[in-house]
Amino acid sequence: MATVALPIKKPSIFTPGFLAWLAFVGLCLVIGLVSAVDVLSNGLTVTNMSNTIPWGLWITIDLSSIALGAGAFTLSAIVYLLKLKNFQSIVRLAVFVGFVGYTAALLTLIMDIGRPDRFWHPWVYWNVHSVLWEITWCITLYLAIMLLEFLPVITDLPFFARWPGLRKFTHSLHKAAPLFALLGLGISLLHQSSLGATYGILRSRPIWFKPSMPIMFIVSAVAVGPALTVAIAHIAEWVRGRPTVAHDILRTIARFSGFGLLLYAYIKLWDLLAVSYYGRSPQVNQAFAVLNEQTPYGFGFWVVEIIIGILIPAIFFLTPRFNRRPAFLVAGALAAVIGIVANRWNVTVSGLTVPLSYSPGVDYQSVAGTYWPSLTEWGIAVGIIGYGLLLLTLGLRFLPLFDHSEHTEAKRS
Amino acid sequence: MSKTRKRIKLELTRRDFLALAATAAGSAVASQLLTTGALSPFAGLKQRQVTGESAPEKASSQYHWGMVIDLDKCIGCQYCQRACSATNDVADDKPWNIVAEDHMANGRKFFFTRPCLHCQDAPCVEVCPVQATYHREDGLVVMDYNRCIGCRYCEVACPYDARKFNWKEREDKNAYEPTWGLAEVPRRPRGVVEKCTFCIHRIDAGLAKGLMPGVDREATPACVNICPVGARVFGNLKDSNSKVSIAIQNNPTLRLREELGTEPSVYYIPPRKEA
Repeated sequence: MATVALPIKKPSIFTPGFLAWLAFVGLCLVIGLVSAVDVLSNGLTVTNMSNTIPWGLWITIDLSSIALGAGAFTLSAIVYLLKLKNFQSIVRLAVFVGFVGYTAALLTLIMDIGRPDRFWHPWVYWNVHSVLWEITWCITLYLAIMLLEFLPVITDLPFFARWPGLRKFTHSLHKAAPLFALLGLGISLLHQSSLGATYGILRSRPIWFKPSMPIMFIVSAVAVGPALTVAIAHIAEWVRGRPTVAHDILRTIARFSGFGLLLYAYIKLWDLLAVSYYGRSPQVNQAFAVLNEQTPYGFGFWVVEIIIGILIPAIFFLTPRFNRRPAFLVAGALAAVIGIVANRWNVTVSGLTVPLSYSPGVDYQSVAGTYWPSLTEWGIAVGIIGYGLLLLTLGLRFLPLFDHSEHTEAKRS
Repeated sequence: MSKTRKRIKLELTRRDFLALAATAAGSAVASQLLTTGALSPFAGLKQRQVTGESAPEKASSQYHWGMVIDLDKCIGCQYCQRACSATNDVADDKPWNIVAEDHMANGRKFFFTRPCLHCQDAPCVEVCPVQATYHREDGLVVMDYNRCIGCRYCEVACPYDARKFNWKEREDKNAYEPTWGLAEVPRRPRGVVEKCTFCIHRIDAGLAKGLMPGVDREATPACVNICPVGARVFGNLKDSNSKVSIAIQNNPTLRLREELGTEPSVYYIPPRKEA
């Protein structure tokens, strides 16, 4: 539609491959829309969530996409606060990926709450003691900051050439980039860790209640978010056939992610030893017994979270043999993403599977829950993925994400 | 090396001195305020640990509604659950009141029942992002069904599994009506979390008529009224002559998972070890 109105320099962008890709993305979106209609009209009864396991796949998506959006604040802070200007060329992409991740999380959240019509309540009715209230505020504020950071990129589109005043205004906003980076860093440090605290503060849940929860959440997010940005930069380069970001920059960021993953592994190891081995309480023991009996908890933890999610990407990112080859960086980033998603799933569903015990007797405890997402829940997940892919496709196709306008701007002024 | 090393001279201007002094004084005041003073998040806790007093009374009115459940008397008839489900029109997928068979360490059987415990330090109240669940002055933990967004964090946080979510709009007929009572409150809409209210509508209406909850049946929770063996006692914990206070004075009592510090308003008389 809009493409007809735009002066198309190269009509050949609609290659059969690109059309097929758009058809695939469109299919994902249709599946998502159908599922969303189902959820909104019939309520959450169409999900397989229950009073025993009230959170499931959608919370996993929320947590994962926010963690994967962490490249935005990390790389903004590196460029505008640590003043490492070399990395300037990836900031636009990182903020864009962050924006996609955060909006995807909000869309899923709208599906997940029982009363979507009351989504605005946390902004009006405050409970300052609630980490979820703080998270809602931080996510909204940070989304606004990312929009402000990103406005100059949008107004750089040819479409906005007709309003030079607007363009000038948004570029003057860019002078506040260090302030945005500082605010973004502070707010992200808050909510990325509070997402872990959501679980970590619950006294009655034996495998959640530990101070390491927020730390593991934020370290993993800071490690994997930038790696995803690197992977997207490489994939964009393959698809577009034009260079995006210098490869040595991408490799340096991948190495940063590799060290981040090692730090994550280190904290995870001590968490395992301190909480689950040396500091185990009868409740923790019983919880792991139930989990290992009823779910593939050990496999999920050791194989998916540790080996696929941490060790393989760390090797790919850190050893020169692999990190000079983009294909391995992309593969490593995808493995790390799988690890993050598996971790968020394991945390959420495993913690809820463990039955509560509160009777003064010895036998009674609430039943251990079982959960596997329903078709509609998967449909929403597919739709969210379609949304992310659509935004990334459009952004990489039409937005000047890799124009190094810093230089042109400098010349202009 | 020694040649290149510059001589370090300690220069302290008046301005530096004032800044340092102000920082030191500020730190001292801040540390005092944060450790034992008004700003300390642990002030109440410390006070309690030092004096060994019981928890500070949170309910600020002249009432603090509480319940005593005598597990030794309970015969597991489930009347409490049925009367509750009828009176409060609770769907049967998860009742507000539960009754379950349990055993003591020596193998002796007893029945365990549980309403909402109306904790004075309630995890559900702490986690709710919109204050849809909150403490009333009379100690009750109540829900504002018009404010709840249905995030279910309270359900995840409750240590006693006392909350349930409305997964769908209800169209079913309540199976407990009219045998076990008539619905006295409207059904909750789809998409919000609900829980036991200690029959708050009876308490409020009763007090307005000059009745005393726990004494006058009209003002007393349905589960307490219907219990055929008198295993449930209800009343004002702040009144030392109320039935609940007397039951607590005359019996050994426990509260569920006391180590969590939730300070429930429901006290249990544990079952005897011998028959």
